[in-house]
Amino acid sequence: MARFVVRRLFGMVAVLFAVSVLTFLIFNVIPNSDPALRMAGKNATPTLVHNITEEWGFDESLPQQYVTMMGKIFSGDVISYEGRENVDERIVEGIPATFSLCLGAAVIWMFFGILFGYLSAVRAGGLLDRVLTIVAVTGISIPVFWLAAILLNYLTYQTEIFPSGGYVEFGESPLEWVEHLILPWVTMAIVYVGIYSRVLRSNMLDAMNEDYVRTARAKGLSERRVMTRHVLRNSLIPIVTLFGLDFGALIGGAIAVEAVFSLNGIGQYAYESLINTDLPPIMAIVLFGAFFIVLFNAFVDIAYAWLDPRIRLGEEAR
Amino acid sequence: MSEALLTVDDLRVAFATQSGRVQAVDGVSFELRPGEVLAIVGESGSGKSVTAQTILGLTRSHNTQVEGSIKLGEQELVTASQAELRAVRGARVGMVFQDPMTSFNPVYRIGRQVAEAIRAHRKEVSKDEARERAIELLDSVGIPGAERRVDDYPHEFSGGMRQRAMIAMALALDPEVLIADEPTTALDVTVQAQILALLERLNRERGLATILITHDLGVVAEVADRVLVMHEGTIVERGDLDQIFYSPDDPYTRQLLDAVVRVDTAAPLRARRESEPLLEVADLVKHFPVKRGLLVNREVDRVRAVDGVSFSVRQGETLGLVGESGSGKSTLSRTILQLLEPGSGSVRFEGREIVGLSRRRLQPLRREMQMVFQDPYASLNPRKRIGQIVGEPLRLQGEAKGSELRRQVQELLDRVGLSAEHYDRFPHEFSGGQRQRIGIARALALRPKLIIADEPVSALDVSIRAQILDLLSELQADFGLTYIFVAHDIGVVRQVSDRIAVMHEGRIVEEGPADAVCERPENDYTRKLLAAVPIPDPREARARREAAGLA
Repeated sequence: MARFVVRRLFGMVAVLFAVSVLTFLIFNVIPNSDPALRMAGKNATPTLVHNITEEWGFDESLPQQYVTMMGKIFSGDVISYEGRENVDERIVEGIPATFSLCLGAAVIWMFFGILFGYLSAVRAGGLLDRVLTIVAVTGISIPVFWLAAILLNYLTYQTEIFPSGGYVEFGESPLEWVEHLILPWVTMAIVYVGIYSRVLRSNMLDAMNEDYVRTARAKGLSERRVMTRHVLRNSLIPIVTLFGLDFGALIGGAIAVEAVFSLNGIGQYAYESLINTDLPPIMAIVLFGAFFIVLFNAFVDIAYAWLDPRIRLGEEAR
Repeated sequence: MSEALLTVDDLRVAFATQSGRVQAVDGVSFELRPGEVLAIVGESGSGKSVTAQTILGLTRSHNTQVEGSIKLGEQELVTASQAELRAVRGARVGMVFQDPMTSFNPVYRIGRQVAEAIRAHRKEVSKDEARERAIELLDSVGIPGAERRVDDYPHEFSGGMRQRAMIAMALALDPEVLIADEPTTALDVTVQAQILALLERLNRERGLATILITHDLGVVAEVADRVLVMHEGTIVERGDLDQIFYSPDDPYTRQLLDAVVRVDTAAPLRARRESEPLLEVADLVKHFPVKRGLLVNREVDRVRAVDGVSFSVRQGETLGLVGESGSGKSTLSRTILQLLEPGSGSVRFEGREIVGLSRRRLQPLRREMQMVFQDPYASLNPRKRIGQIVGEPLRLQGEAKGSELRRQVQELLDRVGLSAEHYDRFPHEFSGGQRQRIGIARALALRPKLIIADEPVSALDVSIRAQILDLLSELQADFGLTYIFVAHDIGVVRQVSDRIAVMHEGRIVEEGPADAVCERPENDYTRKLLAAVPIPDPREARARREAAGLA
């Protein structure tokens, strides 16, 4: 296992480097116009452009530019020339809101996805299965922006059950934290609940025909134990892979949801920067976002190996 | 005569399927007495496995209808509640399944799965105690280093060891009855001999009553006391070993016995052929590197799948290539056909070197050398029609198209014993034997000179097997074909081969005329292999056992 983790972490470092080079190329080399001018934003003046060129070393060689850019982003002295504020500080401020949103949504979708999937598989063909199928397909089909608007309209503006937008720190008031986040969570999770319950259902139905499930029954295990220990456990392995991919990609989804519910996290910051074509924050967010996805995927791969001994030991035997 | 342990009376099992009701078991009655081994023999679809699984209620579902009675002692199992059945499963009746590869859950350690069986019934047993018991059990079925191996995962066990562990698990709670459903079918003969010996020892030591489900009359002759012969859901004949083997009454039983090939019997005399060599293989090597390393993979070891093999096959003869799993026989076949690139060595076809030829130069040679595969289910694309499957080589080689292609394919289908109207059907509409005929028609399409048949009959029932073997030899005579017949079953190989080559660990350890190799083996491994083959003759089997006991 240790060997697998070390290999995976080294692999991750290589990918992180590739991602940073790619980001650098996309923002500063490929557009084929003066990067300083683009960075200066709407209120560009010749002096500002000149200063930016100096500061980012745009008149130096490409490798040197790359080193300067990484140095600036990771040491936290990137300035948005639009808003005259420190980009990294804004990003750090946004982390609690974005993480509360993404983690909460993930917990909800994993919980209900697995629950619904399990129930439909165990009762396959029955009434409950059919109801859950309808729920899942509806969840998958609803556009997120439309659902957000509907939820806001009925549950916030008309009935005032939930507060309208904003983010409250968990430390300030856990109850309000939940109240403010519940609609964004549901909005984000609902598609995934639908997808995950369908995937798990079909995985479980396949697993039920496996010989080892018959063996488990022949041993005299209770039906519930057969279902949880043998069918569900083995069916969760592909779900973990899926989760790794989807959770990483969630950062993209957070942009829309944070904007609608004005959560003031990284997503909303990205949204504002995009509207204002404010390049430095976009650059930093893309880079940090990509880093997060790579990191998280490495983490999921390790969890995956832990779940499935064939991967772990197969790797070691090689 | 002692009291029956298990009494099955007029058992009927029917399944509702999409194509209607299927009566899998149709009025089966028998008794199982303490300490005996009762063999249920039959071909696929005879209902033998369904009978066995129904005893434990494993066939229960809303699509299944079970009638009749199954009594374990005084307890009725057909109408028992789920909870009552659970108390019987594993505790009073243990079960061993056919495929030890898929019958363990791959994500749990072996020991844990054995312990789970114990703790399912004895809640008071702690995890540690169950683990200790699992080690004892694994040790008792002959797993070396059970203390260590208890924490292995199933994929770290060999097939034979898994089947031993499976038996250990079935015996965890000292059941009165053991049901073994084709327990050795997926194993090599030498491993099969060990498992059968183990079952026999357990049966003797524990006074266990065993139901042995099998299609292999050799296995029956080795271990059974009484035999039930099943056919199409009913028992067509029952009796002790001698009666079934030496004075069978039922025509189906006779048919089964006739279809059995025996390794200790010579094949019908074959015409001797003195012809030119068609294929000459010299020092052929195929190694697979084992790579390992933290960041950069370096080759640390190699699997010597084919390790310096030389032989030749003359025009019109059949060379039997025998070996157990992992001996390298399939890799050798593929390497000869250049489907795998050889590491070194030479393969000459009609005197011409084919190793190292470019893809394009190989293309015309491909039509001369074809392959028939083992699994007639997996080797036909389920979404293609039979006509397309058989006609594809003709189409690819630009041989024929349109109505001419159709005519040629229909001719081929007719030639292998199918009919022209099968052209538009899909593979799932055919039985295993018919599918193998399709595979043969496909191989035959381009009128090849050499056919390598890789275990062509090992997935088939004995009666079907005989038909396919007949077809192969008929085609050989008609088209002057040369065969390399690859199989693990030396009995079958002897029946069809002029010469036999025995493969072991990547090398040919013995080669010679079929009868000589089977009767006067010179190599130790060949002798071991021959000794492990069960002989479908109870007297012979007893004599062999006694001889082994005296030695």
